[in-house]
Amino acid sequence: MAQRDWLGLKQELPAKRKFTLTILSFLVPIALWTAVSYTPWLWHPLVHITDPGDVDYFVEDMDVPKTDFDKELAKVQAAGGTLPQGHRVNPVYLPAPHEVARAFYTAFTTEPRLPNEPWLHESLSHSIRTICWGFLISSIFGVPLGILCGTYRFFSRLQEPFIEFFRYLPAPAFGALCVAILGIDDGPKIAIIFIGTFFQQVLVISNTVRKVDPALIEAAQTLGAKGWNLMRRVVIPATISDIYTDMRILLGWAWTYLIVAEVVGTMSGITYFINQQARYRNFDNVYAAIFMIGIIGFTSDLFLAWIGRIIFPWKRRSGSPSKLGAWFAKLLPKKPRPAVAVEA
Amino acid sequence: MTALAPHPLDYRQQAPEVAARFERIKQRPVILSVKDLKKTFGQNGFTRTVFDGVSLDIHRREFITVIGPSGCGKSTFIRIIAGLDECSGGVALLDGKDIGEPGPDRGMVFQGYTLFPWLTVKRNVMFGLEMRGKGKFTAESEARQWLDMVGLSKFEDSYPHELSGGMKQRVAIARALANEPRILIMDEPFGALDAQTRAQMQSYLLQIWRKVDITILFITHDLEEAAYLSDRILVMGTNPGRVVEFIENPIPRPRSPAQFVSPEYLALKMRLEELIHPPVEVEEDKLPVVKMTSAGDDVE
Repeated sequence: MAQRDWLGLKQELPAKRKFTLTILSFLVPIALWTAVSYTPWLWHPLVHITDPGDVDYFVEDMDVPKTDFDKELAKVQAAGGTLPQGHRVNPVYLPAPHEVARAFYTAFTTEPRLPNEPWLHESLSHSIRTICWGFLISSIFGVPLGILCGTYRFFSRLQEPFIEFFRYLPAPAFGALCVAILGIDDGPKIAIIFIGTFFQQVLVISNTVRKVDPALIEAAQTLGAKGWNLMRRVVIPATISDIYTDMRILLGWAWTYLIVAEVVGTMSGITYFINQQARYRNFDNVYAAIFMIGIIGFTSDLFLAWIGRIIFPWKRRSGSPSKLGAWFAKLLPKKPRPAVAVEA
Repeated sequence: MTALAPHPLDYRQQAPEVAARFERIKQRPVILSVKDLKKTFGQNGFTRTVFDGVSLDIHRREFITVIGPSGCGKSTFIRIIAGLDECSGGVALLDGKDIGEPGPDRGMVFQGYTLFPWLTVKRNVMFGLEMRGKGKFTAESEARQWLDMVGLSKFEDSYPHELSGGMKQRVAIARALANEPRILIMDEPFGALDAQTRAQMQSYLLQIWRKVDITILFITHDLEEAAYLSDRILVMGTNPGRVVEFIENPIPRPRSPAQFVSPEYLALKMRLEELIHPPVEVEEDKLPVVKMTSAGDDVE
């Protein structure tokens, strides 16, 4: 077959190309960052002074804007003094990739400067704990309510208009209120994640449940299913895998609220770490911590997606879902199933 | 469309053994009795009648097909029988009792595939049995029997998305029959299948029907399907939906595709054509001629 177009409109790409593009999507920004960091004439707006020469206000290890440096250099040259020495650098808030990469390790070993200040791993686990509690409490109420609203018009009309209104109230606006009610520890932080997640959760899930194919419900009715059985044996299983996908997306949103939640009351968790490190001007640690949030969020989502393929086998199209999944599936005891059937 | 020349054989003429069979059928108890059933939509002065005055009696183990152009309300009619819609007038009795909400006494096979995608084939068939309170082991062994009946034992642990369209409908039939319903209602069950699979499925269905004590009410828009399967054909018309004719099928049983050229079959088919496809209302000469191509005078 002829080589197909890379830019075919709405056309599926071969697996190899998809993989290449996925890798590229990460490589391109990293390449840009690398270029700006290591090519001395790209950007590098500051000059790092190694020898102040005869300029009064230059000190060793000082960063000055390039224009100032050039001006002083010209002045000293005209006066015939010792020339200042320096090399071009980027601002301290843009560390080079290797510095950030190193910080992924050193951030964990950077000793807290203040007594009672947490280490990075303590900050991270604090954040994860906060988000898990907030999301769990929200789900305990949000999922059943969402399913009820999606199934019965009664609950939908009773709940949804108010929730629709409430979801426009930004969660951080409740910060002060939460602190007043719940104190300054983790209570208000969990409450903010709850407020940020819960209302979206009810609406998103009820919408998903409403999309159940009515033909499935009718089929179940003609098979004798009624009331609670209809809910338990048809509505919930028909939507559970979509609800699971919704939950993955909602968990992503919860991470956004985490950073807001952590500045409420006493600052804590990863936000506290980031703020402290920025204060000490350890920007490599700051970047490492920010990337860690991304990595935790992204990998946990991939992990959940992969778990989903295992627990919802009917959503799995024929063929192995992924190499990793296929490898894991081999480890699981499994009844042999016939391959995709052809009409006999 | 040119008018069809009347077929030399009258479709109402029955061979002695066919007539005798209809006599026997009429002796059997009535399973479903429908009188003056009516359905209207809308309120506040504006109403649209979907159909009106539909009456029929279906005897035990009879195979009834309902046929009619789209919009005649045939789907609404069986949805009412199944209990999924409410009627606006008339009565429908199953075994002499008013039909109520949907229930396992009226099995249903839909046109769209309505197998539960999260259950394996076997669990799909077990669904109704479990709903009726049968234990897991009883349900499982009964489900296996029914899957055997439709020839899908090998696929009992497959999920529906792994099956072809025809196989899905066979599972759906097994699932409905497992409940031992009084009547099996089928709403264009083979409509989404390709022609070959459909022909196969029709033969399958007749086989199953011979082996199981089941009364079938079958909706279709395919004349040949109606003629091939049925004992009697309820022909419905539009505007408003109504019964045009209730035809006793003169083709002897057992049926086989070889009968597609028999005189009874052709006579019946011609009659159905007349009823379903009335002559085009606009005379062709009066239609405007628009954008004839250069090859136009070759086109007929």
